[in-house]
Formats: sequence, C-alpha cells, structure tokens
Amino acid sequence: MAAALELRCWGGDWGLPSVHSESLVVLAYSKFSGAKLTVCPIDWTWKTITASVPELLCGDAVVQEPAQILHFLRKQRFNADYELTARQGADTMAYIALLEEKLRPALLHTFWVDAENYSNLTRPWFASRSPFPLNFVVPSRQASAALSRILVTKGEAPLHRISEVEGKIYSDAKECLNLLSYRLGKTKYFFGNSPSSLDAFVFGFLAPLFKATLPSSTLQSHLKQLDNLTHFCDNILAVYFSAQNPNGRQPARQPSAQNPQS
Amino acid sequence: MNVCVFIPTAAEPWPENATLYQPLKEDQILLSDCASSLAVQAYLRMCGLPVQVVCRANAEYMSPSGKIPFIHVGNQVVSELGPIVQFTKAKGHSLSDGLDDVQRAEMKAYMELVNNMLLTAELFIQWCDDATAAEISRPRYSSPYSWPLNNILAYQKQWEVRRKMNAIGWGGKTLEQVYEDVSQCCQALSQRLGTQPYFFSKQPTELDALVFGHLFTIITTRLTSGELAERIKGFSNLLSFCRRIEQTYFEDKTKNTKLSKFV
Repeated sequence: MAAALELRCWGGDWGLPSVHSESLVVLAYSKFSGAKLTVCPIDWTWKTITASVPELLCGDAVVQEPAQILHFLRKQRFNADYELTARQGADTMAYIALLEEKLRPALLHTFWVDAENYSNLTRPWFASRSPFPLNFVVPSRQASAALSRILVTKGEAPLHRISEVEGKIYSDAKECLNLLSYRLGKTKYFFGNSPSSLDAFVFGFLAPLFKATLPSSTLQSHLKQLDNLTHFCDNILAVYFSAQNPNGRQPARQPSAQNPQS
Repeated sequence: MNVCVFIPTAAEPWPENATLYQPLKEDQILLSDCASSLAVQAYLRMCGLPVQVVCRANAEYMSPSGKIPFIHVGNQVVSELGPIVQFTKAKGHSLSDGLDDVQRAEMKAYMELVNNMLLTAELFIQWCDDATAAEISRPRYSSPYSWPLNNILAYQKQWEVRRKMNAIGWGGKTLEQVYEDVSQCCQALSQRLGTQPYFFSKQPTELDALVFGHLFTIITTRLTSGELAERIKGFSNLLSFCRRIEQTYFEDKTKNTKLSKFV
C-alpha cells in the first residue's frame, strides 16, 4: 500500500522508547493505529544538529511536526481516530491546545532551564548521544531555544525574567495535570476502550516527566500523586511497548487491553 | 508570581463606577484587541455586572500586564479574561459554578483552543501578513502618535509579534494555512456547540463570552480580504449563537443588530 515509513527521532531511555516528547507522540500513535515504522534514532549521528525531530520519511515525502505526521498517517489509512464521534474529535483538538499552552512551557522549563535538572540529567544525556564535537553544541542550543520560547510566549512585560515566569507556568501546569486527571477519570483511555490521537499526545507529554530520574521536580511529584495518569502511562508502555512486544503492532480493532501479553 | 494578584475582597460589592479600558475604538483598536475586549464585556454583562467602557490611546501601557482590556474596579486593576474571571469569582459572581470537574476541564480546554488558534490567527493576519500590516495594522496602531514615534512603535510591535509567531512555529505558515486552521477550529467549536443555545446547555459561561468576542469581531471587521469572515459564516450554528448573545446581552447598544444582514 504505502512506501516504507521511516521515523527519525531521539533514542530511548528510562524505560521509554524515546525521551523526546514529540517523538514519543508519533511512536505511540503509530502503535495505536497499526502503522509499521522503521525507527531510526538520530543518536550519535550528525543529524542531532541538522535534522528537525521528529521527521517521517515515506518515499519522497518528508513530514515534520507531530500534528502534520499524524495527519499524514491518517491519509495513509493509519487512523486511530476512526471510532471517534465528531464531538470527540473536537474535544481532541481542545485538549491538545490545553497541553500545548499550559503544560509544554513547564516541561521545557523542567528539562532544559531548571539548573539542577539540566546539568545533572538533560545535558549529560544529550551530550552523550551526540558525536564529537556536537556534544558541546547540541544541548546548549536546545536549552537556549527552550528558554527563549518560554520567555517569548509567557514572559510578556513586566515578567521579563525567568524567575518571575516560573511560578505562573508551574501553577498552570499543575492545573493542567489536574484537569487531565478529572477528564480521564477511571477509564483506560480518554475515549472509550481503544486509544486515539489524544492518548498519544498525553502519553508523549507525560511519560518523560513521569519516568525521567529528575533530581528535583515539584511537577514530577505532582504527577506521581495523580494515580490515574501514572497508570495510564504504565498501561500504554506495558501494552504497546513491552519487551515481549518490541515491534508489537497492535491492530487498531482488537481490544488489546484485555490480553496484553500472549 | 502573577502580576494580577489581588486580595480577595468578597465583602466589597461591585461598585457602580467600574471601568473597562481599551484603545480608541474608531481609529486605533485592532482586531485581536477588539475581540478580547468584547469577550470581557460579554462576560461582565452575562454576570450582570455594570461596567463603563472608556477608550484611551495609551490603554496598552496603562494595563498591568500590557494586554487589553483591563478593568479598574475600586482600587484594583485587573487585565485579561482569565484573571478577570478569577477576580469576579472572588467577589461572588461566577458563571461556571454549576459545572462538574469534567465539564470544567472541557471548558478550560476549549478556551485554550480559542486562544491557541483564533487569537494567534488574528495576530498572524494582522502583523505577519504584509498587506494587512501595511494597510491596516501599522497605520491604526500608531494613529495617536506623531512622527517618528508612530513608525517606531508600529514596527516594534510588529517585530514582537513576528518573534512570538516564530517561537511557536507559526512563522513559516502561509495565509491559506492559517485560514485552514481557523476553519478547523471553528468546526470543532461548531461540533461542540451542536444545537444547544450555549456551550454548556442553557446557561452561558466564560467560554461562550470568549467565543462570542472573537467570532463576532471577525465577522464584523473589515480586513484586506473577507476570506476569514466567510469561513466563519459557513457555520450556521455559530452565526446564530453570536446573534443570540448579541440580542440577549447587547441589545441596548444597537436597534438593528449588526449580524441581521448575515443570517
């Protein structure tokens, strides 16, 4: 049907197939929709500085950005959302906007701006996965991009300094986590019994925060208190990314939640 | 630390002389500011709180956060819809008390959708589209000032907005893609609204005020191209939603409603 699909993304660690939120969104969606992707981690290659991650290659087409990649996969008939009603589709858009506006700045801050986390976890990880001499350049470039993104979007006058913005973005992020927890309730996935693109986005954003060994993070401790969200992440990891199922392509129709391991 | 922090003074009632400040209506105000201001006005009217609208050329600089609109109530100044909703809640007026947790989560998510898509699209069209920026935005934004200040301020604002668009990944978008994003956002809103009078059944909430503010302003504002307004008019339930709110809450302003010729 389609040409082979190849995904360029950052490699995995901490029990996750990828440590990069956006790559994780695409990986999760591909598992949910049954798309077989060849995963090419860009670790230890020069693509760490040249490629925009994640990137999907299909024949001659090159697609970037998670939302565009998901849209492309849907056009290739890998659709995890076909069972959703129109209203659920609208809800998906709204919740993804909520994640982008409220949670992403705090995630960027936790991993790239917070001094302790950056120097003890993020920088060593990314530096060790980049070839010489990029290991000196890649982490700091990403860190300054993260800082400027936070300041430009959230640090409008008179909140010019990052210390003033911090309080606001963390309280917004905690509220966002609470809202997601209310919405998820006791169900396995956000819309019924099979996962959809919203589940992929939430998983992609939450899993690194949940699993990374961050030296100091109030946001991580807040997330760990929300049991239904942590079970949500663990469930997806167990069902779709477990060791027994490394290339586990769960067809979208099967209720795979009932029998995770064969 | 939120600059709009206030000491909850639920004991003090809403004063009669509360004022809302915005830029000059005829010459200066731009689409995005007009939409935000109308959203706040609609919200306050829905709560039944009287407020006078005052136009000032330097409203943006008077605002504590630099954003329009802001309200001056008693001895407190609060700007932007989010903090204003919290402020009125502390005074005992709220439209979303009847919602449960899941509904409140949905409401906040949809409000973020409007901010993320509609407001960003308005800013993009105003400042990143060269034709609109040159013909409408820059002249209007700088109209109260004399040369050379008018040029400096207009270009500075344009540079700021373009920088923000680049930071969030909208820098490379074309106008057509932005119109498409707006259509998708309106489709989501239309599907969520369905045939109900308001987004959460029978009573309006801050989400209704926000959606009304943006959609009404887009439909009734003349830009270089009428494409944006046309796309929204394609959703009949959103049009009747706007008309309903205009008739219910703003009818004392105009006898002949502006929307009547579109429906």
